[in-house]
Amino acid sequence: MQIAEPLQIAIDELSKLPSIGKKSALRLALFLLKSQPDEVDNLVKAILDLKRKIKFCKICGNISVEDECEICSNPKRDRKIICVVEEASDIIAIEKTNEYNGLYHVLGGVLDPLKGVGIESLNFASLLTRIENEEVKEILLALNPDAEGEATSIYLARQLKARGVKVSRIARGLPIGGDLEFADEATIGRALINRTEL
Amino acid sequence: MVLKSISLINFRLHKNSSLNFSEKINFIVGGNGQGKTTLLEAIYYLTTTKSFVATTDADAVRFGERSFELNGEFKNQTENKIRIFYSKETGKKQIFLNKKQIVKSSAIIGKFPVVTLTQADHYITKGYPEERRKFVNSVISQASSTYLNYLIEYNRILRQRSSLMQRIKENYSEKLLNEFDAWTEYLISNGVEIVKHRLSFVKEFNEYLKEAYANIMLQEEIPIIKYKFLETSDEKNAEEFFRKELRARRDDELRRAANLVGPHRDEFRFYFNNLELRKFGSQGQHKTFQIALRFAQFFYLKDKLNKTPIFLMDDIFGELDAFRSTKISEYLGKIGQAFITLTDFSNYEEILNAENDKLIKVENGECVYE
Ligand SMILES: [Zn+2]
Repeated sequence: MQIAEPLQIAIDELSKLPSIGKKSALRLALFLLKSQPDEVDNLVKAILDLKRKIKFCKICGNISVEDECEICSNPKRDRKIICVVEEASDIIAIEKTNEYNGLYHVLGGVLDPLKGVGIESLNFASLLTRIENEEVKEILLALNPDAEGEATSIYLARQLKARGVKVSRIARGLPIGGDLEFADEATIGRALINRTEL
Repeated sequence: MVLKSISLINFRLHKNSSLNFSEKINFIVGGNGQGKTTLLEAIYYLTTTKSFVATTDADAVRFGERSFELNGEFKNQTENKIRIFYSKETGKKQIFLNKKQIVKSSAIIGKFPVVTLTQADHYITKGYPEERRKFVNSVISQASSTYLNYLIEYNRILRQRSSLMQRIKENYSEKLLNEFDAWTEYLISNGVEIVKHRLSFVKEFNEYLKEAYANIMLQEEIPIIKYKFLETSDEKNAEEFFRKELRARRDDELRRAANLVGPHRDEFRFYFNNLELRKFGSQGQHKTFQIALRFAQFFYLKDKLNKTPIFLMDDIFGELDAFRSTKISEYLGKIGQAFITLTDFSNYEEILNAENDKLIKVENGECVYE
């Protein structure tokens, strides 16, 4: 069947979004087609504003309206500790806990040779600059606990320790507040192997 | 654990077969290519979500059809229903446990333990070291999902590491070497966990193997699996040895852009009476070892998982004498549920002794009870 060109273009563009397949894209496109014109205008404006008004903090890489994000420009934050995360969305997750009062640094990914991602393509040089210029005492690594995140943590720890900075990492193991019963066996197994002394 | 019933829809030769099983031995009889092994394959699919023959899911769809469906009803302390649906169109395999869809197939592994004994087992005793590693990996993984996870992670590290070595080979830089050292460090910490699991597994498993030889195979020979990681069998040394060897072979690895050191190159050597089976074993001794390995696996899993595995035997009795076959099937009847395929039943009339046993005939994808 021949699909009208504007519809086909909309489907192609929508299916570029994460977790949207061709079928979902078609459904979304048809939904938009049936929507009121002002509803569509609002959506378009929201997307354009997102792109125009939001930028990345020039210090840490966090999502921000200003050149410097709310966290970097907040005088109440502890400037001696920087938490390194993969993506800006990880900051939101950590902020929700209200347990951390230091600064952040968004790495923008992890080492992934299979995808051609090396340290050069990550925001690592800027982290080193921060350590040189600011009074950083500790770096807290909070990367995802997969193979790439682990190898990146090891890389960062070695480089940072060589520059005399204290490096720590968030514990790997059971999800906080999670019942043992609901964690999968492998997670429990790993938590047992990586047990800490009290 | 017992498999009460099964149904196969458009699965290989079977258009629509439904069967109820005995809780003891089920003999499945049929000529070659009639669909008897397919019944075992279906049971294996239901317990592991995969086939035991090297094949794609699409290959298992009946000729001219678009999808296959398998259903199985298991009874342990509770009843569990498994349903597998594969569609050629979407290329997707959906697995349902008690009508709820399961996302990760690892959620099923170990839940319904299964042990297979097939002709292909001769690769384990006669083939390359890789075949013995595969055997060991599959048994430990069935008993420990922690091990399975380490294994998956380890293989990921190997792929990343060799890809990085390739890059270094093409475009040498100090920075890349630093990255390489980080991957090596993670290779060590993961690899050491695999080695620890393997060392304690081999130690424990050897006891099961010895018992299988003495009690089932009625052999006086002493079987043993020997395993060392880089010349050590002490887990305390594993990390040090691993690190040392990686350092010694670093240039070699980089030059060849290949992972040359680690548990992925481990060797498990099989011995009987201190003679290496691969070099000195007769045809019969190989067969005995293969059967003993599977019985050892059966009892090992039974103890580890606290569940009795299902035993699947494909076309094994044809190679054994009647005395041996009778002994094995008698033994099987005592320990749990088994499925045994035979090409010709006439020589084995005396095997079908217990009243609980069932005889199923398969012809061109159709099943009938005898
Ligand atoms: Zn910032």
